[in-house]
Amino acid sequence: MAIEIRPFSAEWRAALREFNGRLDAAGVFAGMRLPEDVQAEMLPGSQLYIAVEEGAVRAGFVLRPQQFSIRGAVHRVTHYRLPLSEGLIQKRYATLAPMMLRSAIKVEPLLYALGMGGRQQPLPRMLEAMGWSVTSVPFFFRVVHPARFLRGIRAARSSPWRAAAMDLAAWTGAGWMALKTWQAMHTQHLPEPARSKEVEEFSAWADGIWEATHRSYGMTAVRDSATLGRLYPSSHPRFNRLQAGAGWAVILDTAMHDDPYFGNLRVGTIADCLASLDDARTVIHAARVELEHRGVDLIISNQGHIAWQSALRADGFLEGPSNFLLGASPALAKLAGPISEAHINRGDGDGPVHL
Amino acid sequence: MSPEIFNEVCGIAADVFAVDSKTLHSGSSPEQVEAWDSVQHLNLVLALEGRYGIQFEPEEMEGMKNLGQIATLVSTKIA
Repeated sequence: MAIEIRPFSAEWRAALREFNGRLDAAGVFAGMRLPEDVQAEMLPGSQLYIAVEEGAVRAGFVLRPQQFSIRGAVHRVTHYRLPLSEGLIQKRYATLAPMMLRSAIKVEPLLYALGMGGRQQPLPRMLEAMGWSVTSVPFFFRVVHPARFLRGIRAARSSPWRAAAMDLAAWTGAGWMALKTWQAMHTQHLPEPARSKEVEEFSAWADGIWEATHRSYGMTAVRDSATLGRLYPSSHPRFNRLQAGAGWAVILDTAMHDDPYFGNLRVGTIADCLASLDDARTVIHAARVELEHRGVDLIISNQGHIAWQSALRADGFLEGPSNFLLGASPALAKLAGPISEAHINRGDGDGPVHL
Repeated sequence: MSPEIFNEVCGIAADVFAVDSKTLHSGSSPEQVEAWDSVQHLNLVLALEGRYGIQFEPEEMEGMKNLGQIATLVSTKIA
Protein backbone atom coordinates (compact mmCIF):
# COMPACT_ATOMS: atom_id res chain seq x y z
CA MET A 1 0.00 0.00 0.00
CA ALA A 2 1.41 3.36 -1.02
CA ILE A 3 2.06 5.92 1.69
CA GLU A 4 1.63 9.57 0.81
CA ILE A 5 2.71 12.63 2.77
CA ARG A 6 0.15 15.42 2.56
CA PRO A 7 -0.95 18.53 4.47
CA PHE A 8 -3.50 17.69 7.14
CA SER A 9 -7.11 18.57 6.38
CA ALA A 10 -10.31 18.15 8.36
CA GLU A 11 -11.40 14.90 6.71
CA TRP A 12 -8.38 13.20 8.31
CA ARG A 13 -9.32 14.24 11.85
CA ALA A 14 -10.82 10.88 12.82
CA ALA A 15 -7.84 8.98 11.38
CA LEU A 16 -5.50 11.31 13.26
CA ARG A 17 -7.32 10.56 16.51
CA GLU A 18 -6.97 6.85 15.82
CA PHE A 19 -3.24 7.32 15.21
CA ASN A 20 -2.85 9.16 18.52
CA GLY A 21 -4.98 6.48 20.17
CA ARG A 22 -2.65 3.74 18.93
CA LEU A 23 0.31 5.60 20.45
CA ASP A 24 -1.69 5.95 23.70
CA ALA A 25 -2.48 2.25 23.76
CA ALA A 26 1.16 1.37 23.21
CA GLY A 27 2.22 3.58 26.13
CA VAL A 28 4.19 6.11 24.08
CA PHE A 29 5.04 9.19 26.18
CA ALA A 30 1.90 11.35 26.41
CA GLY A 31 3.65 14.53 25.26
CA MET A 32 4.17 12.94 21.86
CA ARG A 33 0.90 13.29 19.99
CA LEU A 34 0.11 14.99 16.72
CA PRO A 35 -2.03 18.10 17.32
CA GLU A 36 -5.58 18.05 15.98
CA ASP A 37 -5.73 21.84 15.83
CA VAL A 38 -2.29 23.03 14.82
CA GLN A 39 -3.28 26.67 14.34
CA ALA A 40 -4.73 26.98 17.82
CA GLU A 41 -1.56 26.04 19.64
CA MET A 42 1.20 27.48 17.50
CA LEU A 43 2.27 30.54 15.57
CA PRO A 44 0.24 31.44 12.47
CA GLY A 45 1.31 29.52 9.39
CA SER A 46 2.06 26.28 11.23
CA GLN A 47 1.13 23.25 9.16
CA LEU A 48 0.67 19.64 10.15
CA TYR A 49 1.71 17.08 7.53
CA ILE A 50 0.53 13.51 7.75
CA ALA A 51 1.67 10.27 6.13
CA VAL A 52 -1.44 8.37 5.07
CA GLU A 53 -1.94 4.79 3.99
CA GLU A 54 -5.33 3.57 2.81
CA GLY A 55 -7.36 5.84 5.08
CA ALA A 56 -5.04 5.54 8.08
CA VAL A 57 -2.59 8.10 9.43
CA ARG A 58 0.77 6.41 9.97
CA ALA A 59 3.00 9.39 10.78
CA GLY A 60 3.17 13.15 10.81
CA PHE A 61 5.15 16.25 11.62
CA VAL A 62 4.57 19.97 12.06
CA LEU A 63 6.33 22.73 10.15
CA ARG A 64 6.22 25.95 12.12
CA PRO A 65 7.68 28.86 10.16
CA GLN A 66 9.00 31.93 11.94
CA GLN A 67 10.80 35.06 10.90
CA PHE A 68 14.47 35.05 11.92
CA SER A 69 17.02 37.80 11.74
CA ILE A 70 20.20 36.27 10.33
CA ARG A 71 23.15 38.64 10.14
CA GLY A 72 20.66 41.50 10.08
CA ALA A 73 18.47 40.21 7.23
CA VAL A 74 15.07 38.64 7.87
CA HIS A 75 14.56 35.07 6.62
CA ARG A 76 11.78 32.54 6.94
CA VAL A 77 13.15 29.72 9.11
CA THR A 78 11.03 26.72 10.02
CA HIS A 79 10.87 24.55 13.10
CA TYR A 80 10.65 20.82 12.32
CA ARG A 81 8.42 19.80 15.17
CA LEU A 82 7.00 16.58 16.59
CA PRO A 83 8.03 14.09 13.93
CA LEU A 84 6.10 11.00 15.01
CA SER A 85 5.57 7.74 13.22
CA GLU A 86 3.95 4.43 13.87
CA GLY A 87 7.49 3.09 13.57
CA LEU A 88 7.61 3.70 17.33
CA ILE A 89 5.28 0.77 17.81
CA GLN A 90 5.39 -1.18 14.51
CA LYS A 91 8.77 -1.78 12.93
CA ARG A 92 7.43 -1.98 9.41
CA TYR A 93 6.91 1.78 9.56
CA ALA A 94 10.52 2.46 10.57
CA THR A 95 11.15 3.70 7.03
CA LEU A 96 8.81 6.68 7.48
CA ALA A 97 11.02 8.90 9.66
CA PRO A 98 13.74 9.46 7.02
CA MET A 99 11.02 9.98 4.39
CA MET A 100 9.35 12.66 6.50
CA LEU A 101 12.64 14.43 7.12
CA ARG A 102 13.44 14.51 3.41
CA SER A 103 9.92 15.80 2.66
CA ALA A 104 10.23 18.55 5.25
CA ILE A 105 13.57 19.82 4.00
CA LYS A 106 12.25 19.80 0.46
CA VAL A 107 9.40 22.11 1.51
CA GLU A 108 11.47 24.30 3.85
CA PRO A 109 15.25 24.19 3.29
CA LEU A 110 15.97 26.57 6.19
CA LEU A 111 14.89 24.08 8.81
CA TYR A 112 15.77 23.55 12.46
CA ALA A 113 14.92 21.16 15.25
CA LEU A 114 15.26 22.03 18.93
CA GLY A 115 15.28 20.11 22.19
CA MET A 116 15.16 16.48 21.08
CA GLY A 117 16.09 14.99 24.47
CA GLY A 118 19.78 14.31 23.90
CA ARG A 119 22.16 12.97 21.26
CA GLN A 120 21.24 9.34 21.85
CA GLN A 121 17.73 9.92 20.51
CA PRO A 122 16.85 8.83 16.94
CA LEU A 123 16.10 12.30 15.55
CA PRO A 124 19.44 13.96 16.30
CA ARG A 125 21.24 10.83 15.07
CA MET A 126 19.34 11.05 11.80
CA LEU A 127 19.99 14.77 11.49
CA GLU A 128 23.73 14.27 11.98
CA ALA A 129 23.74 11.47 9.40
CA MET A 130 22.11 13.87 6.94
CA GLY A 131 24.80 16.47 7.45
CA TRP A 132 22.91 18.77 9.79
CA SER A 133 24.79 20.78 12.38
CA VAL A 134 23.71 19.40 15.77
CA THR A 135 24.99 21.23 18.85
CA SER A 136 23.87 21.40 22.45
CA VAL A 137 22.55 24.68 23.82
CA PRO A 138 24.46 25.05 27.10
CA PHE A 139 22.55 24.61 30.36
CA PHE A 140 23.23 26.72 33.44
CA PHE A 141 21.90 26.57 36.97
CA ARG A 142 22.24 28.49 40.22
CA VAL A 143 21.15 26.99 43.52
CA VAL A 144 19.12 29.26 45.79
CA HIS A 145 18.21 26.82 48.57
CA PRO A 146 21.03 24.27 48.78
CA ALA A 147 19.43 21.88 51.30
CA ARG A 148 16.19 21.61 49.32
CA PHE A 149 18.20 21.32 46.09
CA LEU A 150 20.39 18.50 47.44
CA ARG A 151 17.38 16.58 48.74
CA GLY A 152 15.21 17.16 45.68
CA ILE A 153 17.30 17.17 42.51
CA ARG A 154 16.47 13.79 40.99
CA ALA A 155 18.77 14.21 38.00
CA ALA A 156 21.80 14.12 40.32
CA ARG A 157 20.46 11.60 42.89
CA SER A 158 21.02 8.81 40.39
CA SER A 159 22.13 6.06 42.80
CA PRO A 160 21.41 5.22 46.45
CA TRP A 161 24.99 6.17 47.39
CA ARG A 162 24.80 9.56 45.66
CA ALA A 163 21.41 10.23 47.19
CA ALA A 164 22.74 9.34 50.65
CA ALA A 165 25.79 11.57 50.19
CA MET A 166 23.58 14.46 49.07
CA ASP A 167 21.25 13.92 52.05
CA LEU A 168 24.27 13.98 54.36
CA ALA A 169 25.58 17.18 52.73
CA ALA A 170 22.16 18.75 53.19
CA TRP A 171 21.82 17.59 56.82
CA THR A 172 25.29 18.70 57.95
CA GLY A 173 25.20 22.02 56.13
CA ALA A 174 28.33 21.11 54.17
CA GLY A 175 26.37 21.31 50.92
CA TRP A 176 25.02 24.72 51.83
CA MET A 177 28.53 25.94 52.63
CA ALA A 178 30.10 24.51 49.46
CA LEU A 179 27.43 25.76 47.03
CA LYS A 180 27.05 29.19 48.58
CA THR A 181 30.82 29.68 48.76
CA TRP A 182 31.36 28.59 45.18
CA GLN A 183 28.56 30.79 43.89
CA ALA A 184 29.72 33.79 45.93
CA MET A 185 33.29 33.38 44.67
CA HIS A 186 32.15 33.21 41.06
CA THR A 187 29.63 36.04 41.15
CA GLN A 188 31.18 39.19 39.81
CA HIS A 189 30.04 42.38 41.46
CA LEU A 190 27.70 44.44 39.29
CA PRO A 191 28.53 48.11 40.00
CA GLU A 192 25.13 49.49 39.12
CA PRO A 193 22.33 46.97 38.92
CA ALA A 194 19.73 48.28 36.50
CA ARG A 195 16.22 49.10 37.55
CA SER A 196 13.82 46.35 36.71
CA LYS A 197 10.07 46.03 36.81
CA GLU A 198 7.50 43.44 35.93
CA VAL A 199 5.34 44.44 32.98
CA GLU A 200 1.97 43.17 31.82
CA GLU A 201 2.79 42.98 28.13
CA PHE A 202 5.35 43.62 25.45
CA SER A 203 4.61 46.88 23.67
CA ALA A 204 6.48 49.64 21.84
CA TRP A 205 9.37 49.55 24.32
CA ALA A 206 10.09 45.94 23.27
CA ASP A 207 10.13 46.98 19.61
CA GLY A 208 12.78 49.55 20.48
CA ILE A 209 14.94 46.87 22.10
CA TRP A 210 14.45 44.57 19.14
CA GLU A 211 15.43 47.23 16.61
CA ALA A 212 18.47 48.27 18.63
CA THR A 213 19.84 44.79 19.23
CA HIS A 214 18.97 42.16 16.62
CA ARG A 215 21.79 43.04 14.25
CA SER A 216 24.35 42.19 16.91
CA TYR A 217 23.30 38.53 16.86
CA GLY A 218 24.36 36.08 14.15
CA MET A 219 20.89 34.57 14.26
CA THR A 220 17.82 35.20 16.38
CA ALA A 221 14.11 34.58 15.98
CA VAL A 222 12.22 37.85 15.61
CA ARG A 223 11.38 39.10 19.09
CA ASP A 224 9.32 42.20 18.38
CA SER A 225 6.29 43.08 20.48
CA ALA A 226 3.78 41.44 18.12
CA THR A 227 5.64 38.13 18.11
CA LEU A 228 6.27 38.23 21.86
CA GLY A 229 2.60 38.96 22.47
CA ARG A 230 1.73 35.70 20.68
CA LEU A 231 4.47 33.66 22.38
CA TYR A 232 3.85 35.04 25.87
CA PRO A 233 0.25 36.26 25.95
CA SER A 234 -0.64 38.46 28.89
CA SER A 235 -3.60 36.16 29.54
CA HIS A 236 -1.18 33.35 30.41
CA PRO A 237 -0.33 33.44 34.13
CA ARG A 238 2.88 31.39 33.80
CA PHE A 239 4.84 34.05 31.94
CA ASN A 240 6.40 36.84 33.99
CA ARG A 241 7.79 39.64 31.84
CA LEU A 242 10.64 41.57 33.36
CA GLN A 243 11.89 44.82 31.88
CA ALA A 244 15.47 45.39 33.04
CA GLY A 245 17.57 48.30 31.85
CA ALA A 246 17.69 48.21 28.06
CA GLY A 247 16.54 44.61 27.90
CA TRP A 248 13.93 42.13 29.07
CA ALA A 249 13.49 38.57 30.27
CA VAL A 250 10.62 36.12 30.47
CA ILE A 251 10.88 34.18 33.69
CA LEU A 252 8.91 31.21 34.98
CA ASP A 253 8.37 30.18 38.58
CA THR A 254 7.24 26.56 38.53
CA ALA A 255 6.50 24.21 41.40
CA MET A 256 7.49 20.87 39.89
CA HIS A 257 5.55 17.73 40.73
CA ASP A 258 7.33 14.40 40.51
CA ASP A 259 9.49 15.67 37.65
CA PRO A 260 12.12 13.16 36.46
CA TYR A 261 14.86 15.80 36.67
CA PHE A 262 13.67 18.27 39.30
CA GLY A 263 11.44 16.15 41.55
CA ASN A 264 9.26 18.51 43.57
CA LEU A 265 11.60 21.50 43.54
CA ARG A 266 10.40 25.01 42.87
CA VAL A 267 12.29 25.88 39.70
CA GLY A 268 12.86 29.38 38.35
CA THR A 269 13.63 29.58 34.65
CA ILE A 270 15.11 32.42 32.66
CA ALA A 271 13.28 31.18 29.59
CA ASP A 272 13.79 34.01 27.14
CA CYS A 273 15.57 37.35 27.08
CA LEU A 274 16.88 40.05 24.82
CA ALA A 275 19.28 42.97 25.21
CA SER A 276 22.39 44.27 23.57
CA LEU A 277 25.35 41.95 24.14
CA ASP A 278 26.78 44.43 26.66
CA ASP A 279 23.53 44.51 28.65
CA ALA A 280 23.06 40.74 28.92
CA ARG A 281 24.62 40.67 32.38
CA THR A 282 22.22 43.36 33.63
CA VAL A 283 19.20 41.35 32.47
CA ILE A 284 20.46 38.05 33.90
CA HIS A 285 21.20 39.69 37.24
CA ALA A 286 17.74 41.29 37.42
CA ALA A 287 16.03 38.03 36.49
CA ARG A 288 18.05 36.08 39.05
CA VAL A 289 17.30 38.57 41.84
CA GLU A 290 13.60 38.54 41.00
CA LEU A 291 13.43 34.74 41.03
CA GLU A 292 15.34 34.56 44.33
CA HIS A 293 12.91 37.08 45.78
CA ARG A 294 10.02 34.85 44.72
CA GLY A 295 11.52 31.96 46.69
CA VAL A 296 12.53 29.42 44.05
CA ASP A 297 14.93 26.62 45.01
CA LEU A 298 16.91 26.61 41.79
CA ILE A 299 17.29 28.88 38.75
CA ILE A 300 18.01 27.42 35.33
CA SER A 301 18.60 28.71 31.81
CA ASN A 302 19.69 27.42 28.42
CA GLN A 303 21.52 29.98 26.31
CA GLY A 304 23.21 29.53 22.94
CA HIS A 305 24.91 32.90 22.54
CA ILE A 306 28.31 33.27 24.14
CA ALA A 307 27.46 36.72 25.58
CA TRP A 308 24.49 35.31 27.51
CA GLN A 309 26.59 32.35 28.67
CA SER A 310 29.23 34.79 29.95
CA ALA A 311 26.52 36.78 31.70
CA LEU A 312 25.25 33.66 33.46
CA ARG A 313 28.75 32.64 34.57
CA ALA A 314 29.46 36.15 35.83
CA ASP A 315 26.27 35.93 37.89
CA GLY A 316 27.45 32.77 39.64
CA PHE A 317 25.66 30.18 37.50
CA LEU A 318 27.23 26.75 37.05
CA GLU A 319 27.17 24.91 33.73
CA GLY A 320 25.61 21.45 33.72
CA PRO A 321 25.06 18.76 31.09
CA SER A 322 22.63 19.82 28.38
CA ASN A 323 20.27 17.58 26.45
CA PHE A 324 18.70 20.61 24.75
CA LEU A 325 19.98 20.37 21.19
CA LEU A 326 19.81 22.65 18.19
CA GLY A 327 19.82 20.92 14.82
CA ALA A 328 20.26 23.22 11.83
CA SER A 329 19.80 22.01 8.27
CA PRO A 330 22.87 22.37 6.03
CA ALA A 331 21.37 25.45 4.32
CA LEU A 332 20.52 27.09 7.64
CA ALA A 333 23.88 26.25 9.26
CA LYS A 334 25.71 27.75 6.29
CA LEU A 335 23.65 30.94 6.47
CA ALA A 336 23.67 31.35 10.25
CA GLY A 337 27.28 30.60 11.17
CA PRO A 338 28.37 29.32 14.60
CA ILE A 339 25.80 28.63 17.31
CA SER A 340 27.87 30.69 19.77
CA GLU A 341 26.62 33.74 17.84
CA ALA A 342 23.00 32.52 17.67
CA HIS A 343 20.53 33.72 20.28
CA ILE A 344 18.76 30.44 21.03
CA ASN A 345 17.09 29.61 24.31
CA ARG A 346 13.98 28.02 25.80
CA GLY A 347 11.85 30.69 24.19
CA ASP A 348 12.55 29.14 20.78
CA GLY A 349 11.04 26.08 19.19
CA ASP A 350 8.15 24.78 21.27
CA GLY A 351 8.71 27.48 23.88
CA PRO A 352 9.09 26.67 27.59
CA VAL A 353 6.49 23.89 27.53
CA HIS A 354 8.25 21.45 29.85
CA LEU A 355 9.30 24.02 32.45
CA MET B 1 16.86 -5.86 -11.23
CA SER B 2 20.23 -7.46 -11.95
CA PRO B 3 21.62 -10.05 -9.53
CA GLU B 4 24.81 -7.98 -9.34
CA ILE B 5 22.92 -4.92 -8.11
CA PHE B 6 20.89 -7.00 -5.66
CA ASN B 7 24.03 -8.61 -4.24
CA GLU B 8 25.72 -5.26 -3.92
CA VAL B 9 22.68 -3.74 -2.16
CA CYS B 10 22.64 -6.74 0.19
CA GLY B 11 26.32 -6.22 0.94
CA ILE B 12 25.78 -2.54 1.74
CA ALA B 13 22.75 -3.38 3.90
CA ALA B 14 24.75 -6.06 5.73
CA ASP B 15 27.46 -3.51 6.50
CA VAL B 16 24.94 -0.93 7.72
CA PHE B 17 23.00 -3.39 9.87
CA ALA B 18 26.16 -5.24 10.98
CA VAL B 19 24.76 -8.64 9.97
CA ASP B 20 25.99 -11.48 7.75
CA SER B 21 24.90 -10.76 4.17
CA LYS B 22 23.94 -14.43 3.79
CA THR B 23 21.08 -13.84 6.23
CA LEU B 24 19.55 -11.20 3.96
CA HIS B 25 17.22 -11.86 1.05
CA SER B 26 14.88 -9.87 -1.18
CA GLY B 27 12.08 -9.99 1.38
CA SER B 28 14.26 -8.75 4.26
CA SER B 29 12.52 -5.79 5.88
CA PRO B 30 12.61 -3.79 9.12
CA GLU B 31 10.28 -6.34 10.72
CA GLN B 32 12.76 -9.15 10.10
CA VAL B 33 16.11 -7.46 10.66
CA GLU B 34 16.46 -6.41 14.27
CA ALA B 35 18.97 -3.62 13.62
CA TRP B 36 16.84 -2.08 10.84
CA ASP B 37 15.32 0.88 12.66
CA SER B 38 14.60 4.40 11.42
CA VAL B 39 18.19 5.58 11.95
CA GLN B 40 19.69 2.57 10.20
CA HIS B 41 17.19 2.91 7.38
CA LEU B 42 18.46 6.43 6.81
CA ASN B 43 22.05 5.18 6.98
CA LEU B 44 21.20 2.59 4.33
CA VAL B 45 19.63 5.25 2.10
CA LEU B 46 22.67 7.49 2.48
CA ALA B 47 25.09 4.62 1.87
CA LEU B 48 23.28 3.67 -1.35
CA GLU B 49 23.20 7.29 -2.50
CA GLY B 50 26.91 7.58 -1.85
CA ARG B 51 27.74 4.32 -3.63
CA TYR B 52 25.69 5.01 -6.76
CA GLY B 53 25.80 8.80 -6.91
CA ILE B 54 22.02 9.09 -6.77
CA GLN B 55 19.50 10.83 -4.54
CA PHE B 56 16.19 9.35 -3.53
CA GLU B 57 13.17 11.62 -3.53
CA PRO B 58 10.80 11.32 -0.54
CA GLU B 59 8.17 9.73 -2.79
CA GLU B 60 10.68 7.10 -3.91
CA MET B 61 11.67 6.36 -0.32
CA GLU B 62 8.08 5.28 0.29
CA GLY B 63 8.75 2.23 -1.86
CA MET B 64 11.80 1.04 0.09
CA LYS B 65 10.04 -1.51 2.27
CA ASN B 66 12.35 -4.47 1.71
CA LEU B 67 15.69 -5.19 0.09
CA GLY B 68 14.10 -6.44 -3.13
CA GLN B 69 12.20 -3.19 -3.59
CA ILE B 70 15.27 -1.17 -2.70
CA ALA B 71 17.46 -3.01 -5.22
CA THR B 72 14.81 -2.56 -7.91
CA LEU B 73 14.64 1.16 -7.20
CA VAL B 74 18.44 1.47 -7.33
CA SER B 75 18.48 -0.41 -10.67
CA THR B 76 15.85 1.95 -12.09
CA LYS B 77 17.70 5.05 -10.97
CA ILE B 78 21.10 4.05 -12.34
CA ALA B 79 19.73 2.68 -15.62
